[in-house]
Amino acid sequence: MTVAANAWGWLRRNALPIYAGFAVAYMLIPIAVIAIFSFGDTPQGKLTFTLGEGFTLDYWRTVFDIPELNEALLTSLRLAALSTLISTVIGTLMAIALVRHRFFGRRAANLLIVIPMATPEVVIGASLLSMFIYYSFTLGFSTLLIAHVMFSISFVVVVVRSRLIGFDRNLEEAAADLGATPLTTFRTVTLPLLMPGVIAAALLAFALSIDDFVISNFNSGTTVTFPLYVYGVSLRGIPVQVNALATLLFVVTVLAVVLVLWQQRRAERMAAVRPEREAPPIPAPPAQATT
Amino acid sequence: MERGGRSTKGVMAVACAVAALVLAMGIAACGDDTVGGGSGGEVTVAKGGPAKGHLTISNWPGYIDPGPKGTVAEFEKDSGVSVDYIEDVNDNNTFFGKMQPQLEQGESGGRSIFVLTDWMAKQMYDLGYLQEIDRADLPTVFENLVPSLENPSFDPGRKFSIPWQSGMTGVWVDTAKAPDIKSVNDVFDPKYKGKVTFLEEMRDSVPLVMKAEGVDPEEATNEDWMKAIDKVGAAADSGQIRAFTGNNYNEELNAGNIVAAIGWSGDASIVSNPNAEWRMPTEGCVLWSDNMVIPVGAPNVGAAFGWMEFVYEPEVAADLTEYITYVSPVDGVKDLVKPALAKDQLVFPSPEFQENCSTQDSPPDVETVSGAWADVVAG
Amino acid sequence: MSPKQRLVPYWLLGPGLLWLLLFFVVPMYFMGELALRSGTLTSGFTFTWEWSNFPDSLSGHTEQIVRSFFYAGTATVLALAIGYPLAYAIAFRAGRFKLLLLFAVIAPFFTTYLIRTIAWKTILSDDSPVVSVLQTLALLPDDGRILATPAAVIAGLTYNFLPFMILPLYANLERLDMRLIEAAKDLYSSSRLAFLKVTLPLTMPGIVAGVLLTFIPAFGDYINAQLLGGTGQAMVGNVIQSLYLNQRDYPEAAALSFLMMALILAVVTVYIRFAGTGAFMGDEDELERRA
Repeated sequence: MTVAANAWGWLRRNALPIYAGFAVAYMLIPIAVIAIFSFGDTPQGKLTFTLGEGFTLDYWRTVFDIPELNEALLTSLRLAALSTLISTVIGTLMAIALVRHRFFGRRAANLLIVIPMATPEVVIGASLLSMFIYYSFTLGFSTLLIAHVMFSISFVVVVVRSRLIGFDRNLEEAAADLGATPLTTFRTVTLPLLMPGVIAAALLAFALSIDDFVISNFNSGTTVTFPLYVYGVSLRGIPVQVNALATLLFVVTVLAVVLVLWQQRRAERMAAVRPEREAPPIPAPPAQATT
Repeated sequence: MERGGRSTKGVMAVACAVAALVLAMGIAACGDDTVGGGSGGEVTVAKGGPAKGHLTISNWPGYIDPGPKGTVAEFEKDSGVSVDYIEDVNDNNTFFGKMQPQLEQGESGGRSIFVLTDWMAKQMYDLGYLQEIDRADLPTVFENLVPSLENPSFDPGRKFSIPWQSGMTGVWVDTAKAPDIKSVNDVFDPKYKGKVTFLEEMRDSVPLVMKAEGVDPEEATNEDWMKAIDKVGAAADSGQIRAFTGNNYNEELNAGNIVAAIGWSGDASIVSNPNAEWRMPTEGCVLWSDNMVIPVGAPNVGAAFGWMEFVYEPEVAADLTEYITYVSPVDGVKDLVKPALAKDQLVFPSPEFQENCSTQDSPPDVETVSGAWADVVAG
Repeated sequence: MSPKQRLVPYWLLGPGLLWLLLFFVVPMYFMGELALRSGTLTSGFTFTWEWSNFPDSLSGHTEQIVRSFFYAGTATVLALAIGYPLAYAIAFRAGRFKLLLLFAVIAPFFTTYLIRTIAWKTILSDDSPVVSVLQTLALLPDDGRILATPAAVIAGLTYNFLPFMILPLYANLERLDMRLIEAAKDLYSSSRLAFLKVTLPLTMPGIVAGVLLTFIPAFGDYINAQLLGGTGQAMVGNVIQSLYLNQRDYPEAAALSFLMMALILAVVTVYIRFAGTGAFMGDEDELERRA
């Protein structure tokens, strides 16, 4: 076979991964731009690659120097942490109820959970505002928290539910057969195996909360979250520290996830459990206990 | 699944939905019945007091010299008051929309001072959202206030507003790319299609267009306003106008996306395009002031008064002007700033410079005209 | 089951349902009530059963509604075209890098929505290298631009909602049993046919979920139109935001919001019926039906 044919064959076989590489690069372009911009006195709004001149680490050194920015970031982090905690707990409980139990009103509950995901943020934010106006609630951190938990619940339920559906019930039955009460089974078998789904849901809730702009814009009062701060300064000229902070946030998150993944790999290697396959089904006991 | 079972489930679902709705209405019935309409209460006079404690101010962005040597820090050192300076007024209307629910209830969201443009200050006052100010509480202010601002038409005798800074709306021009733009009419020239922006603020953009057509905005009728709005609307539809901006036209200028922008005179500090300059249109500009007002329910009015007194001291006002390059309402600042700045017509305009300028005014039928303008801006 | 056991699902569901009821359903009611009022902010809004608000807001903003459909629809199609191969590559060709690549897809989420979009504004600005390249390639006229055109807004929407498309697609593709494809190949089917007849139909639920999760928020979005668009690119979200926060015409804003939700619901119902799947509403029902 000629070299060209070989090359062409290789291209065809690897077309998909090559495409994936381009696609992922496309996803990361803005992040690269933000990172580049955090290093420069580049004139506002102009994308120049002349990093030689105007390249400065000043903004990284002073990255925590703007008090409003720091406060906004802290507010966002606090809000996201609380919102994640509440919505993950509530959502996980709901998911368990929806998957494991059959009860009157299950369909309606399903519908109620799905509809907020199908509602545009503008509508959610505006309707919440309407209600807060009626009840003369002071807009602020608490109204933001309420709103964030509300739109996170649906996503948590969906994620945990999909994990629950693929769940091997035999393990729980085995625990029950070995004399564990339902609560113990839940604590020692169900919950740990559910954890990846719960963590994924929590991460999603965290990301949604920290990134939220539209709903927060309608319901924040005087409280300034990080996205709201960025919006405010974007109308007048973003201080470069914002770019530096955004890059920092990104890098920290990446490191955190890589760390978690690496830990998981190590743990799995030590427990000799392969991640791609579920634990082998335990054969049913020969005699069914009669109730 | 039998069909009977399916339909029962469907009926049950509907019943649940109805029950939920009834519950919602029940909870809703516990609420207040009126929305909007102003608070309708008596206008209170703000009570002063010693300047101490905590103060929250809402102002426009880029309107203060920041940092440890800035006015806020100096005030904190001088008075012992701790200040929360929030730059969340990006647009009069949006800020009003955000604060209105609370102001309606007699609360200011923790803020003691807002800074609003003339007409919005008046609008809030008419709705009963502001407190009046007793001259006796602000001796320095009224001593140093420039005479031309002592008796504006929207607040004769300055009962509820104290000027923060003044400015002019005209045309920012990229002289390298569009040197011949000297009047607002030039902005409509087709050769600059898609390369010009207008301000979202109706009372900035429309009066300029009216003036360019020879109409005096202070005497304009609803028809005059609508005609000007139509002209802008046609330009927006044809793509002549690239966008309607808030404070952010400077970004477009800096990035080279536009050659001309309707904009404000004092923005030189944020326009980094070396070729861009603010031009007084041949037919004149629009004059406006932003004012400090005290909302209802403002906590710690004493500290608010302390702030106002502080920024009306000529030295403090001079520091402010040197940084933000807008027109100061404080007398005597001209002698205290750098000579180059003192000669700058944009910061210390002479009466001749401003002779063709008009003040911002509202149209006779605000609702209809504003609605028409909003439709044009929203696309 | 004992009476106590019957109550368990209700206890589990309770907090979540209550939260959703209080902070989603009730506000919707208020928004509906607001939509039936008339008046102005200065003179007060009184409840007058003003049904005309609905047709009025529809006729006054038909242009933006149609435009939103077009932009969101195009963005969804593009996201599907870009996202499906990527999800496929990650699910089947990524091996050890699966989770890392997946994370790379979600990573942009961790740099505020606004900052990402502003970065695109910089990348696509009139004097940028990107525009210059496109001009030399004659894809753009010499004085053409990308910003402040529909193309920029659609590009922004596609980018920002790509993760919403990829994640459901991936979740679905991952569960695909490769043995089915092998079986098809054993039966002498070509790769392309195997894909069309086996993979595609089996991944339909993922496609449906992805399309819906992308189209719905895109339809109500206003940030992309505001930052990347110009005078002629306003979407429904922009109008609603302007009505609420700028013009304070609450009744019209509320009416338009409801109309928007109704439109979305209609589109979703038609689409689900057409694509035929319970993937969006309740996997466990489907699971039971199949069992």
